[in-house]
Amino acid sequence: MEAQQGLSAIRAYVDKMPSLPTTVSKILEICNDPQTSPADLNRVISLDPVLMGKVMKLINSAYYGVSQHITSLVRAIIMLGINTVKNLALSTAVFDNLANASDFRALNMEGFWRHSLCVGVTAKLIARKRNVDAKMLEEYFMAGLLHDLGKIPLNNRLSEQYVKAMANSDREQLSLYQAERAEIGADHTDVGRFIMANWQLGDEITDSVAYHHSADGYDGENKEIVYTVALSNYFANSLEIGFAGDRYPERPNEKIFSLLNITMDWLDEIEETVNSEIEKARIFLRIKD
Amino acid sequence: MKIKLWGVRGSIPCPGPDTVEFGGNTACIELRFDDRLIIIDAGSGIRALGDSIVRNDLKKGPINTEIFITHTHWDHIMGFPFFTPIYIPGTQLKIYGPVTYEDEGLDRIIGNQLTYRYFPVKHSELSATITYYPQKENTMDLGDGITLTTKYLNHPILCLGYKFHHKGKVFCTLYDTEPFRNVFPTDPEDPNYDALAAKEGERSAREENEKILEFIEGVDILVYDAQYTHKEYEASKLGWGHSSMEFAINACHKARVKKVLLFHHDPLRTDQQLIELESSFQQRLAGKSPLQLQFAREGAEFEL
Repeated sequence: MEAQQGLSAIRAYVDKMPSLPTTVSKILEICNDPQTSPADLNRVISLDPVLMGKVMKLINSAYYGVSQHITSLVRAIIMLGINTVKNLALSTAVFDNLANASDFRALNMEGFWRHSLCVGVTAKLIARKRNVDAKMLEEYFMAGLLHDLGKIPLNNRLSEQYVKAMANSDREQLSLYQAERAEIGADHTDVGRFIMANWQLGDEITDSVAYHHSADGYDGENKEIVYTVALSNYFANSLEIGFAGDRYPERPNEKIFSLLNITMDWLDEIEETVNSEIEKARIFLRIKD
Repeated sequence: MKIKLWGVRGSIPCPGPDTVEFGGNTACIELRFDDRLIIIDAGSGIRALGDSIVRNDLKKGPINTEIFITHTHWDHIMGFPFFTPIYIPGTQLKIYGPVTYEDEGLDRIIGNQLTYRYFPVKHSELSATITYYPQKENTMDLGDGITLTTKYLNHPILCLGYKFHHKGKVFCTLYDTEPFRNVFPTDPEDPNYDALAAKEGERSAREENEKILEFIEGVDILVYDAQYTHKEYEASKLGWGHSSMEFAINACHKARVKKVLLFHHDPLRTDQQLIELESSFQQRLAGKSPLQLQFAREGAEFEL
């Protein structure tokens, strides 16, 4: 009964969560399309005044060091080129929406974001290594970045139970999702699935969020991305890059390593690259009002 | 200030009987300010410059120099592994250049040319001490009375123009660059037409071009990207990131530049064509503009 009450509280919370604006899905779509015109890009970013403001702020940040303030997106596209602005918009849209959605209690926000970034960056590197179509790379990044999103409502709405679940996971050396189930009756992948139903970022990302702890039994159409996120998550947890509560991660089944043709040795080799990619991505997290 | 051009060609080295007069090496410029040596770009021209440094400077002590990379396209960095001073213990080298967020750092973009898959020596095996610095749009005091001002240009990746002031004289590079232009539809019939964007696009392009004119105002010697003729540019090179000769010359005239060296010659351009173009532009300017014009020649030297 208590578990059910908890879950309905979570549902209510999820429904009130700021939805990832449609601009993000739209940005994802147009940034992956090499045919995107300056007019398309301008139109999509302009639809979201907040995103527009962030992009302009970043363009004028010390990162580019432009000596005279750039005051319009049109000018930014003319000056810096469409590819630069596309990348800025995509990263800003994603990070900003997520950073705002977080009000952390049991989990430490800094550690959570570092973990999420690590999984996103690793998923993208694995995809690149496997020669996945370049158009899909941002999708792998997003899937990895968002995989633990379900922990945010659990952490915020049911923070006492969540602290208990984390403590049980530590004491009994269980993976966190198992401890969540025992304590709350649902785990962060269930909650992630609710959120994804509202956000509608496509089946690839939704399945990655929903199945990253049960990739073994997944038999849908997006095996490669789901497996990649599961493996990237294990990598981030076992190397303790960031921390999202999971001290005792389950090692993914061998078939996941072999289908992806990725070894732990290769993952160890990319650690340095992963860390430097995380540092770059963090630039966007710092851009805040 | 002494200036010597070691590479003036664009895109790719192109040695052969048709490129003897103007040279086939890609971008590299040597600047001397009394004892201070500064290099702009590490195109294939830097190989011969490196040999000259080893021959003439090494006897005076360890080599200490800076390379300012305009941008990291290959024709501007490809000579780096062949720059002999990097193999000499004691060499101190600082490398500056622009990098974008989505790229790797300068050390990897330039230094990774020295990995076994491309080259028999690894960067970590070099004897020189090399440090890399991301360069932005700003003004820097380089010491020895030299001031450097940089300006972002219009090229498919971040690219900087470099302007050196020393003892009242100014030397400036403006490559690779294309005139800024409005990339938004201006025809109301176009389905993508947006009146605001069209207007802002027109104004931005105009103002950005004006800023370039301000940047080169009154420069003593300006090295300007002029890879194409106006006809070639209009026919098929829009958006490639290079200027036409006609545009470059007009801009120099407007900005009261004293001498322009047209630079980044197309690999297909023969000596004969360049001589004819040079003479034709010189005649057209004669009596109408005080601007002195030359097409850049590999090996040419200037003093300010």
